[in-house]
Amino acid sequence: MAAQTVSTTLSLSGAQRFTVALSALLLGVFLVYGAGLANSAVLHDTAHDTRHSYGFPCH
Amino acid sequence: MLIRLLLAAIVAGLLSGVLMTGAQELKVTPLILHAEQYEGGEDTHHGNVTPLPGLSRLAQFVSPVTAAHAHGDAEAAGGILFGLNRFGGTLMANLVTGAGFGLILLAVSLLTGTGITLKNGVLWGAAGWLSFQFLPAIGLPPELPGFPAADLVERQTWWIATVVLSALGLYCLVLREAAWAKALGVLLLAAPHLYGAPQPTDIESNVPALLGAEFAVAALATTAFFWVVLGLLLGGAMDRFGRAAQ
Repeated sequence: MAAQTVSTTLSLSGAQRFTVALSALLLGVFLVYGAGLANSAVLHDTAHDTRHSYGFPCH
Repeated sequence: MLIRLLLAAIVAGLLSGVLMTGAQELKVTPLILHAEQYEGGEDTHHGNVTPLPGLSRLAQFVSPVTAAHAHGDAEAAGGILFGLNRFGGTLMANLVTGAGFGLILLAVSLLTGTGITLKNGVLWGAAGWLSFQFLPAIGLPPELPGFPAADLVERQTWWIATVVLSALGLYCLVLREAAWAKALGVLLLAAPHLYGAPQPTDIESNVPALLGAEFAVAALATTAFFWVVLGLLLGGAMDRFGRAAQ
């Protein structure tokens, strides 16, 4: 019983792995887009120095 | 399990963002502030550097960074989120960016079926740096405020396309064995540069060229540091928590 629990928590099926990958990708792109690229005056001003140091196209 | 993987990527990204903020203060941020003193020629939409009143002026005393620079037209509508000072805004943006890059790195690792470990973390970081910073910088070097630049939307479009093509190109070149895949990788890496980045028609600038040269190198070196740290931290976290995914 215990061994079975361990094996299920330690194995990640292909579908699960794809779900995690897709969630991570969407969330990651959303965050990077918001900080680096979004066309909003407030976001731009807040992230100004970050955008310049990461070389995001700015202004 | 699933949440744990996402959390590992986010925590590694947040820590890298904190370290990045420290690294930026060494060279990159001082250069941005220096360049802003030259900003504001009549051909740019940037206003003069105007200190914000109240809290953020007070914040100057606790921060090595001056109060919000606020570009002329953005000042009316803009301002920094949550009333943070400039340093606070940069720190927050670095945290968000770090978490975002951490998640993207995790996603690529899972999609390609290639695990990130402490051992190969530097290589993962290098791939991220090449895709997001160095290769796009060949066409669009990191710019200082006040530098001449082509239309923003065109540059962002080229930048996004270059990042995606570079990442795909590196995947084909590094992780695929077949000769045709490696050749395709080189083609994908070269394609955005053969097409060419949008360039400004007028390259006049009030900002001294020396600052621009120093900044380009400093920005690339600082982001290289960020990516190496992120790769190592994420590798360490995956060694501990993410075995199953590898």
